[in-house]
Amino acid sequence: MNRILSLYMPALLLFMLMIGCKKDNFEKPAALLSGRVVYDKEAVGLRSNGVQLELWQSGFELFSKIRVYVAQDGAYSASLFDGDYKLVRLRGNGPWVDNTDTIDVKVQGNTVVDVPVQPYFLVRNNTIEKSGTTEVKATFSIQRIADGRALESVSLFVGRTNIVDAVNNQGSAVVSAGNIPDLTAPVTITMNIPAGLAGQAAFYARVSVRTAGVAEQIYSQPVKIE
Amino acid sequence: MKRIYISCLMATGILLLTSCMKDWLDREPRTILTDEQVWNDTKQIVALLANFYDRIPSETGLGDVNDGADGRLFQWRNMANYDEAMWSGQSNEDGRNNITSYGFGSWYLWNYTYIRDINLALENIEKYGVSLTETAKRQYIAELRFLRALNYFDLVKRMGGVPLVTTQLIYDYSGNVTNLQTPRAKESEVYDFIAAEVDAIKDVLGNAGSTTRANKYTALALKSRAMLYAGSLAKYNSLMPAPITLPGGEVGIPASMANSYYQKALEASKEIINGGPYTLYKNNPDAGENFYEAVTKKANNKEVIFVKDYLLPTRKHWFSYDNIARGIREDNLGSSSIAPSLNLVESFEYKDGSNGALRTRNAANTDYIYYNNVADIFADKDARLYGTIIYPGSSFKSLSVSIQAGVMVWNAGRNAYDVVEGSDLGTTYTDGKLLTGTSGPHRSIQEVSNTGFYLRKYIDPNDKTSTRGVQSDVWWVWFRLGEIYLNAGEAAFELGLTGEALTYINALRERAGFGVNSLTTLSIERIQNERRVELAFEDHRLWDLKRWRLADKVWNGNVSNPDAMVYALYPYRVIRPGDAARDGKYVFVKMVAPRIRAPRFFQLGNYYTQINQGVLNNNPKIINNPFH
Repeated sequence: MNRILSLYMPALLLFMLMIGCKKDNFEKPAALLSGRVVYDKEAVGLRSNGVQLELWQSGFELFSKIRVYVAQDGAYSASLFDGDYKLVRLRGNGPWVDNTDTIDVKVQGNTVVDVPVQPYFLVRNNTIEKSGTTEVKATFSIQRIADGRALESVSLFVGRTNIVDAVNNQGSAVVSAGNIPDLTAPVTITMNIPAGLAGQAAFYARVSVRTAGVAEQIYSQPVKIE
Repeated sequence: MKRIYISCLMATGILLLTSCMKDWLDREPRTILTDEQVWNDTKQIVALLANFYDRIPSETGLGDVNDGADGRLFQWRNMANYDEAMWSGQSNEDGRNNITSYGFGSWYLWNYTYIRDINLALENIEKYGVSLTETAKRQYIAELRFLRALNYFDLVKRMGGVPLVTTQLIYDYSGNVTNLQTPRAKESEVYDFIAAEVDAIKDVLGNAGSTTRANKYTALALKSRAMLYAGSLAKYNSLMPAPITLPGGEVGIPASMANSYYQKALEASKEIINGGPYTLYKNNPDAGENFYEAVTKKANNKEVIFVKDYLLPTRKHWFSYDNIARGIREDNLGSSSIAPSLNLVESFEYKDGSNGALRTRNAANTDYIYYNNVADIFADKDARLYGTIIYPGSSFKSLSVSIQAGVMVWNAGRNAYDVVEGSDLGTTYTDGKLLTGTSGPHRSIQEVSNTGFYLRKYIDPNDKTSTRGVQSDVWWVWFRLGEIYLNAGEAAFELGLTGEALTYINALRERAGFGVNSLTTLSIERIQNERRVELAFEDHRLWDLKRWRLADKVWNGNVSNPDAMVYALYPYRVIRPGDAARDGKYVFVKMVAPRIRAPRFFQLGNYYTQINQGVLNNNPKIINNPFH
C-alpha cells in the first residue's frame, strides 16, 4: 500500500498541477501594434523612453491607459489583443505641437500605424566628427517647422553606447539660443572629448534642439565616431 | 398557605420578567460610544484630535509610515531621494540611489478620508455637543478647521487646485451622484481658502504656549508659509518660458496676484516675530551646538512653534537607530541610512561670506591641498554645518567619529599616489596607523556612509537611544521661528523691501556664527541658499525647488550636471616618507558617490502630481494635471 502511494502520488500531483494550470490561464496578447512617430514621413529622433503615447480601450470594467514608450529612433510597439483602441498624443509630453486629436486604431494581427506629429524644430544635415584628437565637432542646421515657441538651446551629447541623450551621456555641450544670431545659418558646436571616452575605439554622438517651455528635445539619429 | 406562597412567587416572577422585558433590547452598549457621549466629553474629543494631529501628512518625517490611500505619510527614508542626501543603509533600499526619473505619481496625496473625518467632526460637535461650554466648543472647532486648512495646504502643494469639500457629502439613493461630484478649485482659491480659514480661527484657538496643539501662532505660521508658496508660484510660474497652467486655473496662479500673497506672507510672519512668545534659540554659546539644539532640544526651546512630539518609553521612533553614525552606534545593526551629500555640505558658506565649495586642490590644480587635521578643511564654515551634519573630525555624544576612506601611498616609480582603501571598517595599515575609519566612508559596505558624512540633526544625543530596545523621542519640527524669519525675509525681498529682508536674514546668519549684519546686499539666489542650509532635512527642499520652478533645472537628469548627481568627499591619510610637508597630512577627493547609479531627474510633469485614473473615473468633473 505504502509503495503504491509513494509511486503514484507524485504522478497524480503532477497531473493535477498540469490540468489545474490550464483552467485559469488567460491567452496572452497575440497582436502587435507598432509604428513610428513621424513628421513628413520621416521618423523623429527622441530621448530613449522619454516620450509616451497612450492607448485607451473602452468597453471593459478596468478603464486605465496603456502607456507606450517611444524608442529613441521614433519607433514604438505594443503587444495587444485584437480590438479597437484609441491612440492619444499626450499634451505637453513630446517635443512637438500639442495635438489631442484621437487616432482610432483597429488592431488585427500585426498592425502598423505611424503617428504624425509637428515638431517646432528639426535638426537637418548634421555631421558630427572628430576634430583633431581631443575635440568633437558637430555642424547642422535648424529648421523651424511650427511657429509659436522660441528656440531655447542646441546641444551636443556624446556617450559610450548608441543610446545617447540628455539623460544618458558621458558629456555634453550646450549653445543657448542667444548665441545663435541667425537660425537659418548652420550651427557649429565643439566640445572636448570627455576623459571617460578618450581611450575608446569608438563612441556615439547626437545633436539636439530644445524648444523653450518644452521638456523633451528633438534629436538627430546617433552617429558613430571612430 | 403553601399555595398562596407559590402564587406570590409566580406573580413576582411575572412582574420581574415583564419589567425586564421592557429594556432588555434597549440597553446601553458597552463597546460603542454614541455621538452624544463623544461630543460632550472633552477627554474623548481631545483623543479624537490626537488622532487627527497624528495623521498630518509629511513627505519626510521621523516615522516609517507611507499609507497613500489614507494620506498617512511620514517616511524618513524619503530624505534620501533628493540632493540633500543619499541612501547608505541596507542595500535593499538602493533604489533611492537609482531613481532614473521621479514618477509622475510621486508625492501623490488624495486623502479625502481625512477631510471627511474632520468635516464629520465639525458637524457633529455642532449638533451633539450641547453640554460643552461655548468657548470650548469654539476652540475645538477652530482646531479642527486648522487641521483641515493644513491638510489642504499639503494637497495643493502636491496636486495643484483640489476640490474644496467643507461639508459631509451624503448620498441620497436617488441614483444621481452629480451633486456629490465637486470639480477642482483654482489653485489660487485653495490658497485663499487657507488664508481665510486662518484669519477666521486664529483668535479663537486657545492652547497658548503649546507646541503640539495649534494656537494662534501655529495658524499664522501656516499662513506665512502658504502665502509665500502662493506668491512664489504666481511669480516664478509666470517667468517660465511656457508657464504650467490649466485653462480653468486649477493649476497656475496669475502673476498679478504675487504681490498680494507676498504681502500676506510678510504680515503673518511679522505678527509671529513681533507678537509671538518665540525667540531664536541662543542658549548655547557654541554656535554649532546651539543650532543642533535649536531643532533637537526640548528643554527651554522658545524657537519651535509646532512639533510632532514623542516621549519615551512608549512614544518613540527608530530614526536614531537607523541614522546614527556607524562607528558610534550602540546596536549591532542599523545606522548610517541617510548620508548627507557633499552638495549640501558645500552649500554652507564660509564665515567670510565666500562660496562654500571645499578646497581640495591647489590653485593650479596640480596637487592636493594638504591639511594637518582631517577637520581643518571645514574650518570657518557656517556653524549650521556642524549643527546639521557630522563631518570628518567632528564628534557626537562626546565620541569622536572616525571618518577616513584610506591612505594614499606615494609611489616614486610612478610619480603618483597609490590609493589604498580597507576592505573592512576600522582597519589598520601596515604602518600601524589607521587605514579606514570605523565610520568609513566605504564604497560598497551597507550601513556605512557612502558620502563621508553623517546626519546630526534629529539624532538623539541621549544614551542608548540608537538601540532597538530603547529608541528615540526626538521631535519632528513642523514650524519653527527660523523658518518664519526666512519667510519674512523672502517675502520682503520680493516686495522690494530689501532693507527689511536683510534684518531677518542677517539675524539668522548671526546666530550661525557670522558677524553682525554679514550681508549688505541680497539676491534671490542668496535667500534660496539660506533656506537650503537653515532648513536642511526639515521637508522644505523639494517644495522650495518646486515653487521657485527650479526643480527641473537643478535636477535635470544629466549625469554631467553636478547638481543632479550626489557627490561624496573621501578623506585619505598621506604616506610619503621624507616629505615632511606632506607625510601624515590629509587630502580629500571629491567624487560621485559610488552607490549613486542615476542622476536626479525632475520633469515638467512632476510639478503637479498625476491624479489617479480611479479618481477621474469616479468624478468626471475632475481634470488631470498638465503633462499627464
